[in-house]
Amino acid sequence: MAEVRITGLHKRYGAFHAVRGIDLDIRDGEFTVLVGPSGCGKSTLLRTIAGLEESSEGTIEIGGEVVNDFRPRDRDVAMVFQDYALYPHMSVAKNIGFGLKARKMPKPEVEARVAEAARMLGITPLLGRFPRQLSGGQRQRVAIGRAIVRNPRIFLFDEPLSNLDAQLRDEMRGEIKRLHQAIATTMIYVTHDQIEAMTLADRIVLMRDGVIEQQGTPLDLFERPGSTFVAGFLGSPRMSFLPGTLTLGGSAAAIRLADVLLPVAPGRKLNGATDGQKVLLGLRPEHLTRAHAARPAQGTFRYDATIDLLQPTGSRSYATFRLAGAPVMAELQAHDVSRPGERLPIDINMNRASIFDVKTERAI
Amino acid sequence: MQHTATISRMKAAGAPPRLSAFAQWADRHFKWLLVAPAVLLILALSIYPLLFSMVVSFINYDFQVPGHAFVGVKNYERVVFDPVARWSLVLTACLSGLSVAIEFVLGLLVALTMVRSFPGRGVIMSILIVPLFISPVIVGQAWTLLLQRPFGPTNYILTQLLGQEVTIGWMTESPWLYVSLIIADVWQWTPFMFVILLAGLTAISPNLYEAAELDSVNAWQAFWAITVPHLGPMMLLALTFRLLDAIRMFDTIFIMTGGGPGTQTYTASYYLYTVGFTQFHLSQATAGSWLFLIFTALVVMLLVRRLLKAEPV
Amino acid sequence: MPVVARARRRKRRSVPIGRILLLGFFLVFVLWPLYWMFNTSIKPSDDYLTVPPVWFPTAPTLVHYKAALFAYRGLDGLINSLIISLSATVLSALFGTLMAYSLARYNTGGQHLSFWVLSQRFLPPIGIVLPVFLIYRGVGLYDTHIGLIIAYTVFTLPVSVWMMFAYFRGMPKSMEEAALVDGCTRWEAFWRVAVPLAAPGIVAAAVFAFIACWTEFFFALILTSRTAFTLPTVFRAFIGFQGAQYGEAAALAIVSLVPSIALGVLAQRHLVRGLTLGAVRG
Ligand SMILES: Nc1ncnc2c1ncn2[C@@H]1O[C@H](COP(=O)(O)OP(=O)(O)O)[C@@H](O)[C@H]1O
Ligand SMILES: [Mg+2]
Repeated sequence: MAEVRITGLHKRYGAFHAVRGIDLDIRDGEFTVLVGPSGCGKSTLLRTIAGLEESSEGTIEIGGEVVNDFRPRDRDVAMVFQDYALYPHMSVAKNIGFGLKARKMPKPEVEARVAEAARMLGITPLLGRFPRQLSGGQRQRVAIGRAIVRNPRIFLFDEPLSNLDAQLRDEMRGEIKRLHQAIATTMIYVTHDQIEAMTLADRIVLMRDGVIEQQGTPLDLFERPGSTFVAGFLGSPRMSFLPGTLTLGGSAAAIRLADVLLPVAPGRKLNGATDGQKVLLGLRPEHLTRAHAARPAQGTFRYDATIDLLQPTGSRSYATFRLAGAPVMAELQAHDVSRPGERLPIDINMNRASIFDVKTERAI
Repeated sequence: MQHTATISRMKAAGAPPRLSAFAQWADRHFKWLLVAPAVLLILALSIYPLLFSMVVSFINYDFQVPGHAFVGVKNYERVVFDPVARWSLVLTACLSGLSVAIEFVLGLLVALTMVRSFPGRGVIMSILIVPLFISPVIVGQAWTLLLQRPFGPTNYILTQLLGQEVTIGWMTESPWLYVSLIIADVWQWTPFMFVILLAGLTAISPNLYEAAELDSVNAWQAFWAITVPHLGPMMLLALTFRLLDAIRMFDTIFIMTGGGPGTQTYTASYYLYTVGFTQFHLSQATAGSWLFLIFTALVVMLLVRRLLKAEPV
Repeated sequence: MPVVARARRRKRRSVPIGRILLLGFFLVFVLWPLYWMFNTSIKPSDDYLTVPPVWFPTAPTLVHYKAALFAYRGLDGLINSLIISLSATVLSALFGTLMAYSLARYNTGGQHLSFWVLSQRFLPPIGIVLPVFLIYRGVGLYDTHIGLIIAYTVFTLPVSVWMMFAYFRGMPKSMEEAALVDGCTRWEAFWRVAVPLAAPGIVAAAVFAFIACWTEFFFALILTSRTAFTLPTVFRAFIGFQGAQYGEAAALAIVSLVPSIALGVLAQRHLVRGLTLGAVRG
């Protein structure tokens, strides 16, 4: 049980600056997901917390204690690796008990704990096997067992699911979530998969090029992305971005996209915006629906669209059409639309739309 | 698939026991402690002797002349102005160059015949590498048995084959003794080339050859267009390693010709050995070995630099 | 298409003849000296100078083996060779593995240290052996087992280090990292995780170190004489002979080459790595 505080953390590999100034507070028992594109420094950050990399600058505190000079063994954390890193020359039981043995725990207690951990994970029949005799999912469980048997202060995961096939991945994702709910230990989880991030996290820390781009609850980041990068990274299919001009003149603000004028939802704050500012309008597919009501609800804008491309997924169909020349995707009910070329009235929910400055790519 | 039962938190195992002061020190300097034994041994038995020999080469250290007076570069002069020394250097270059060239061509040819798998390939492979595991002394001995007059069967076989009396003194007559030495070297070290080049050849994707075949490129063209460029780094590596060993040539000469007749088969190593250990002019031999070392270092720098740039797989 | 197919078929049929000839010739070239040596070793002395030579001895004998081992002290050489080669092998594999791990995982000394070790491999022995001879005489290591063991350890170290260096480089490091996080010190992670995983590589490196020591001649010639002499140096006794000792020389050669060939062929999977100091994977 421990909180983690990272202050001004930098990591350089020679001339290469992998982590460039991270400040992060993780509360006790929180499930934090570090997410971001490959190479953005997530693993480096995680490994620095574990003590496997030395920081170049900055401090790391675990449980209120600066651990910069602690060996990995003295930090009392556990880590699950992408390739599981099971010891191939040891049985499953030995693998799970290895950390306890390193603690000079008496043998009977080690055995009792290993048995208990195996029971909880449902791998009791596998205890005598060797890692090479296990399937991917079973290895994953052993790797987790190796961690829970110690009840460490923090769990660290580095892309633990990326070597599993899709179905197993969904299943194990649920298991990890359940694990956290049951033991409520601080967990820090690295992934590049936004769905994993959204489903698992109490808090998402979205990284880009060695810095934190934005952090907050999953819904926070999803609904109020701070930048086009965050908006584009979270959510699938991706948010559509439409270039336009902000007009503040008169009573209501609006965004002009070529020949279309979209009124900004009334009451939406436009901090620091100027008249004539070049902006990007960000619309997620679920912000666009087929119009059924006679007149659009407040804050929605109705548009007669001609569908270019239709991608049915079963219950939903993703329909792409052009809005003032730029492609936009709408998420429609399957029965709302039948074929490309169809003309439909689409309601655009401007209450949920995001507006970004073109140059800074920051949200307005 | 297993299913997770109710998970409950276990008692925290905590951090492992604290390390003793010594263990902490050892853990902090771990990487240096690991290299220490090897580095100290090499320092003691390679670097220290080299420095020591540097000193010896400038003083008198001769079992036939008492005293250890400083003599300046006189030891070096003796070597440089010794015609035998110069001859041995030339011979070393010629013998090693020629042997390595033959080994390379033969090794490459044999490797080419062994690229595709065929029944019995494993056994043949095991036989072909055998010379690599034999002491050069024994190799010299084996060829002595074959070539030596009157016992060796070689002259008899040649007589039968050519239909006329052959009486070559394989280890006493001038061009033939070089042939004998080269044959012994080729016998032992062609497998070296063969093994490395075969590893390189098997690493070339067969798709390339199939594509070439579809483009109706003949085998000879394919060899130059595909094999040679892909094998380049490997060839360089094999040649470098082999050449650096070939210039040390000593053992087979010691056994087969004893440097003779006269000084005709003195290589650099053999020359220095005789100066040092049969004439006991130790400081002169040391000076000579420094000169030889410098020659070798030049070769190493030239070849190994190239090698590092070529970055073999 | 049929033209291409026919051409290809013709090529398939014609090429192997050249290949088989070349391979056959080379096989004979490799095997012939070995056969003749074996033949000589079991041939009665009366058969030595016959014309034509005796290709298959009709009355094989072991007298030459007996003479080589006892009269020429071949057995003493064999025992010395075993003691010295085995000891040097163990030390070389041990120290080589330690150093290689440090270089591979901690990048100790950057490139300089590893290339410094590599450069030792290419030093001509003649440059080292003269001063070592003088030093050994000074400290009483001349003609001792210990002296040759140390010399052989040093002279096989570069190969051991580089073979193991390449081996560790090819091994994922996450298992050792897992051990560190699990509560191991660096030494424990090395000893309890990395070493067991690298065992095949260590064995291969040891085999090549052993073969190198077993077949070494130059150091043994200069650093030993009547006590610690090794098997290869026993062959000095047969130099310049005039007929009488062919069988003894051949017999001793056969005795000496069996162990190293057996080991070498067993370890042939690692041969390419061994010959290229790990630069090329087999
Ligand atoms: N040991 C290293 N030496 C040099 N560069 C490294 C090292 N480890 C990681 N990097 C670089 O640091 C950056 C961040 O890596 P990493 O943290 O692994 O990214 P990811 O977010 O995909 O986990 C990458 O560009 C990577 O190339
Ligand atoms: Mg990563």
